Amino acid sequence: MVETSYIPKDLEEALRLRKETGAKPIAGGTDLMVAHRRGTGVVPKFPWPVMIVSQLAVFKGIRLEDGEVSIGAGCTCHEIEVSELVPWPVRMAASLMGAQSLRNLATIGGNVCNASPKADLPVPLLMLDARLELASVSGIRQISLNDFLVGPKKTALRDDELLMRVIIPAVNPAFTYLWYRKIGTRRANAISKLSLCAAITIDTEGMVTDFRSASGAAGPRIARNRMVEEMLIGIPITDIEERLPAFLDAYDGILAPQAMPEYRRSSTRRMLEHFLRTAVTRPAHGIIE
Amino acid sequence: MRETPIGTPIRRLDAISKASGTQMYLSDYRFDGMLYSRMVRSTVARGRIAAINMPPLPDGYYFITHKDIPEGGVNELYMIKKDYRCFAEGDVRYIGETIGLLVGPDRGVLLDLEQGIVIEYEEGVPSISIEEGLACKGGPFVGDRNLFCDFTIDKGNIDEVLAKAYRVVEDEINTGWQEHVHLETNAAVAEKEGDKFIINISCQCPFYVRKSVAGLMNRPFEDIIVRQTTTGGAFGGKEHFPDILAGPLLVAVNKIGKPIQLVFDRHEDGAFSVKRHPSRTRFKTALDKDGNILGMDIDVVYNAGAYESCSYVVLQRGVFHAAGVYTIPVTRVRGRAVATNTFPSDAFRGFGAPQTLFAIEVHMCHLANELGIDPLELKKRYFNKKGDITVTNGHINDTVVLSEMLQQVMEASGYAQKAATYKPGSGKGIGISFYNHGGAFTGNGEQMIIKAKAKLHRRADGIVAILVGSTEMGQGLQTALAKIVARVLDVDQDRVVYDNPDTSCVADSGPTVASRSTMIVGKLLERAALEMKERWEEPGEIITQAEYQHPEGYPWDQSTFQGDAYITYGWGVCAVEVEVDPLTREVITKGVWSSHDVGVPIDELVVKGQIHGGIIQSLGYAAMEKLENTAKKGFKQVGLSDYIIPTSMDFPAQTATLVHNPYPYGPFGAKGMGELVFNGASAAFIDAVSRAVDTEIRSIPIPPETLTELMKHGA
Repeated sequence: MVETSYIPKDLEEALRLRKETGAKPIAGGTDLMVAHRRGTGVVPKFPWPVMIVSQLAVFKGIRLEDGEVSIGAGCTCHEIEVSELVPWPVRMAASLMGAQSLRNLATIGGNVCNASPKADLPVPLLMLDARLELASVSGIRQISLNDFLVGPKKTALRDDELLMRVIIPAVNPAFTYLWYRKIGTRRANAISKLSLCAAITIDTEGMVTDFRSASGAAGPRIARNRMVEEMLIGIPITDIEERLPAFLDAYDGILAPQAMPEYRRSSTRRMLEHFLRTAVTRPAHGIIE
Repeated sequence: MRETPIGTPIRRLDAISKASGTQMYLSDYRFDGMLYSRMVRSTVARGRIAAINMPPLPDGYYFITHKDIPEGGVNELYMIKKDYRCFAEGDVRYIGETIGLLVGPDRGVLLDLEQGIVIEYEEGVPSISIEEGLACKGGPFVGDRNLFCDFTIDKGNIDEVLAKAYRVVEDEINTGWQEHVHLETNAAVAEKEGDKFIINISCQCPFYVRKSVAGLMNRPFEDIIVRQTTTGGAFGGKEHFPDILAGPLLVAVNKIGKPIQLVFDRHEDGAFSVKRHPSRTRFKTALDKDGNILGMDIDVVYNAGAYESCSYVVLQRGVFHAAGVYTIPVTRVRGRAVATNTFPSDAFRGFGAPQTLFAIEVHMCHLANELGIDPLELKKRYFNKKGDITVTNGHINDTVVLSEMLQQVMEASGYAQKAATYKPGSGKGIGISFYNHGGAFTGNGEQMIIKAKAKLHRRADGIVAILVGSTEMGQGLQTALAKIVARVLDVDQDRVVYDNPDTSCVADSGPTVASRSTMIVGKLLERAALEMKERWEEPGEIITQAEYQHPEGYPWDQSTFQGDAYITYGWGVCAVEVEVDPLTREVITKGVWSSHDVGVPIDELVVKGQIHGGIIQSLGYAAMEKLENTAKKGFKQVGLSDYIIPTSMDFPAQTATLVHNPYPYGPFGAKGMGELVFNGASAAFIDAVSRAVDTEIRSIPIPPETLTELMKHGA
């Protein structure tokens, strides 16, 4: 049991500490402080050294860079929720996390690196093909979120790396219709029981040029499969109905819920069905409810 | 309703201290040399303790067990019976049973020590569910049938009625565990002052705490002084449970001689505290060929957990409320409290009535479905009326105004139009429920067991002090009682004070339970105040007292459970409207309307606060408060992110009305109401959801995943 904690003054020191001591970063602490709590009046104890990084400006800021949205790993859910630069489903997911006090503290970096199958932000991020920028004393690399999320509570983060920022590529042309729904254990301050993010792009000819969907809390990791999505791409929107049964069965195949399988599978099915059938009717509003 | 001057809201006595955050709660107090403590608990549901392997204890640290009980003391906590042990000794009966108390100056060290203790068990086979308990899984451990009690009350001959019935409808309704989730967790500090033991404790019933530990400490009551600290919620969870903290603390103080604090963490409070009794209620209802109810055979089983505590009394209330607000010509109600290897079930707002009231309401809906009529039409035919014979062959003594209350709820909710428009299975539904709650202790308990007293003291400074053992726990009792006294004395409200009770200073007005405090203790204070008013011109201090007097003409036989189980009831009607999300099966509550008969409200704002809170708690019970228990790990949903209580987002604003129906033996006509308001919304909610999805629901709670399964497979 190591009880060391550090407060690096800059990124250079943080990366050095990461490399030399293996210290793990802690920012909002809304996962770590809870997971390692020891009760009233007792300081949490971590099984590894920690470094507090919430004071480092290098992890802050939401910016538009070359048409891509860059969100610093230390940005809080509240900052994301209110930023007009951030795509709608990510803002929605951020706005529905925990309570306001948690959203003021919890960071996107923590939510991504904690790699919980029930995490909220990675669902729309995965759907949006987000990439992560990781830094170490040896340099910087980028990795897709899809490759980063290895399994439940497992990521591709190396022992000497820190997550710097999350990059959301531009979507061109823009999605025609979007869906985001979180089913919590209650209507506020809730952990996700199931979530679904979906998007479809329809061109002027009525052809589906893109379709994506990702599911949270429906398996050991956030579920998304490009091959299944491609079943609906390149077809006239009017053909959706006939493709629907095969698509829904295939999508069901990528889910692997352990608890409440009937609920998670059938609700996902109904939500996708509803989203796609509503899209076929070409409503004026881009966000389908 | 007619405005009554007494009902006009005043500022609560505790409003400023609580809203401003200056109010001290138990964990805010510091005592010189105070030590901390942690409970060491059983990690198996049933077994023998083979060995307790302790890590070395640093200087100043102690491990207190049954071996430290003072000479002549008995390892028991005297609640209703003396079966609940202070410390496990030899065997353990449930996960969380107290084995010992670690005491020392540093909480971190205590935690490390606790984690370093290795207890070896010879594990037995536990029973967890009602069915396992009844089947004596692993062998009986209470008597030869695992039953703490088994009794039956008959009104007429149900066997004859069932035999000649045109048809018999059978039904089974189940309810789950429920956790109190009082904002303040359980907490106490014990210390010694001279030769006396002091317990500062967050609790409902200071005199109960004193009674529970006197035998353990081998001391007369007077040697143990209990001081209630401002209590941040209780809901019944601090009726008997504080005894579980007080016992080990006193044994430790006796040995160590320093003040010792025991405060549960939230997680600990959820995992290791008493809960509402799970229930199984079975009906055999006899109908004639015209659809009239001839009789009901009702079989009630409550899961009592590992010790009896107050389960027999809880069950009595459940049994006596089993026919709800309906006069059924012939009834038989059997009640059993089954022992299981779970944390003991105990008092919780409603005290056994909510389970059977839920069951009868749901069953009446099912009967209506069988008969093809609106549930409301069936229920209305059987409403209790003054003079009707109850299931215990006593009488309804109240002028029952359910029809007037129904009218209020119908008008506010638009029930008739909505019930007709929302087709079964349309995703929209409205439901309605009726309920009551017998005021104060069951039968002649107030007269034979409690014998409440109340005292008023006009001090030399002219301030009048209320000296009773009744406690404020957020429900507004300080305000209600002080208002009664100020009103009778005709003095300014701020000339009446009511401090947290200290058992060495106040009269034993009985426990703060059973919706009895305003109605019974308030009446005693009204009488004491009337006497003081007569003597008001006397110089100097005045002390007046009143003792409980049972009204004449309400016979009760506690040995046969025959007669007037309650002299009066509070009454309630609640309608709930829902929409079920077609995609996710989430239930969205669109409206909640209620009407209550509480006699006369002593303070309308306090009463409305109770109505709003009680209804939300009842809706949570039905909708989302899922609590599972496993043989290996005990309660599964123990943190606030897993045990789901509603937020203000989950249910809409309510419309709550009152009827004016004075109760002749209550202060200013008031009756009890704190529990009444919990007793019915759950059934209205389930009625509404059942209609919306056209599926009968026989078990609560129903989170969306459970509703999905039901809709797929049928109830």
